[in-house]
Amino acid sequence: MVKVLGCCMIFSGCLGMGMWYRNQMNGRLRALRSLRNILELLAGEVRYGRDTLPECCGHIARYLSPPYDGAFRKIGGRMEENTGFSFGEIFREEMDSILKELPLKGVDRECFLDFTRQAGFADSQMQLRMIEQGVERLGAIECRLEKENGEKARMAVGLGAMGGLMLILILC
Amino acid sequence: MDNGIIQLFPQQYRAFWRRTAEEQEHIQEIRLRAGRPVILHRKGREAYLDEKGELTDLYSNAYVMEEKMLREILEHICHYSPYAFEEEIRRGFVTVAGGHRVGVAGQAVLEADGSIRTLKNISFLNIRVSHQMKGAADGILPVMYRKGSLKNALLISPPGCGKTTLLRDLIRQVSDGNAYGRGAAVGVVDERSELAGSYLGRVQNDLGMRTDVLDGCPKETGMLLLLRSMSPEVIAIDELGSDGELRALGQAAACGCRILATAHGEDRRDVERRFGLQPDYWEKLFDLFIVLGKENGKCLVRQISERGDGRW
Repeated sequence: MVKVLGCCMIFSGCLGMGMWYRNQMNGRLRALRSLRNILELLAGEVRYGRDTLPECCGHIARYLSPPYDGAFRKIGGRMEENTGFSFGEIFREEMDSILKELPLKGVDRECFLDFTRQAGFADSQMQLRMIEQGVERLGAIECRLEKENGEKARMAVGLGAMGGLMLILILC
Repeated sequence: MDNGIIQLFPQQYRAFWRRTAEEQEHIQEIRLRAGRPVILHRKGREAYLDEKGELTDLYSNAYVMEEKMLREILEHICHYSPYAFEEEIRRGFVTVAGGHRVGVAGQAVLEADGSIRTLKNISFLNIRVSHQMKGAADGILPVMYRKGSLKNALLISPPGCGKTTLLRDLIRQVSDGNAYGRGAAVGVVDERSELAGSYLGRVQNDLGMRTDVLDGCPKETGMLLLLRSMSPEVIAIDELGSDGELRALGQAAACGCRILATAHGEDRRDVERRFGLQPDYWEKLFDLFIVLGKENGKCLVRQISERGDGRW
């Protein structure tokens, strides 16, 4: 009885690991979707409101969920305080603290933050283009991941289950 | 939020501009030209900044403005979003927090019809420091009223003699009420955001508690709009510039509004010459002409002429 119970625990542990790994892969995908959504909202504000980038951040904060909403409110607030730091510096500083907690890779972060390097266009179309480039690049990563993840996720769960069975066989 | 001029500069340059910011009270203008010395108009005189940002009278010690610094200051003023200030840049100035006005000049990009589309390669900035001098109008208040009723007045002076400052304080005192008259609803058409210094729709200067401000609107249209929408008892405009504006003022007066206005000029005749309307139009419209001037760098009232029993 104890042996059967132990085998069940080993199997469920290994299967759980496989599922955790699948979840991690999907976590990156979810984070990428959130970042793309943020950039799309930002582009919308620039396109229709013609507001400044700090104002846009303040506006879109109300459409975002934690932890992004707080960060965007903070960006808008800090820019209004006018401490002299540039929008890019403040945006990067605030977002870096959030992005490092997410299962993202360096390239994902750069795609998201890249438009802040080239803020300051006199033409709103140019500014929009910079933000939309970020949207497109994030979208491309997302697309590729979706394709890869389907197979990888199945493999991870399968390997977890098989690993568990193998361990049971070895131990027994 | 601090509304000092130090806020106009990015963090990396604030140490350089700190001394200038300390002198804000005495500075009228800061002229920035790429590749040229920084010139401050301070207490009616010109001064330069040296390499450390200290004030100097010596041209040889003057710090020459770098193009990079000028560009970064403009970006900072525009909140790193110049596209959002397209209209302001086209008009040639940006109003910032505190009511200060930053004039811009560079290379004009024209539309097919010859109108200005935008300015590019901006290499000249003129920071006009806003000074609200509460009490500036104390001296002229006694002549502004007749038996508790405000007279229609035109303030005339050459540029830089304080007519906008005087009008701003006059509006405040008329709006809040003073020893000579009760408080009145004042409608201000602030085409160039100079009177109220509106920034993001918020009035930065105190124009009194009964004052409504129409910001950034052409004066002629704005006056008629205010008449319809806000029923002002007094209408105030800065820098009367065309016959159309004068006629709109006439319409406001015909509706029973009192009028406060300013105009560029040496004296009343000089102003009348610049407009195509007959002199008697002016006499019907205004009760009072106040001419301002400057002596030893100080702004003062040079002449007050008043209409009495239909005669000047």
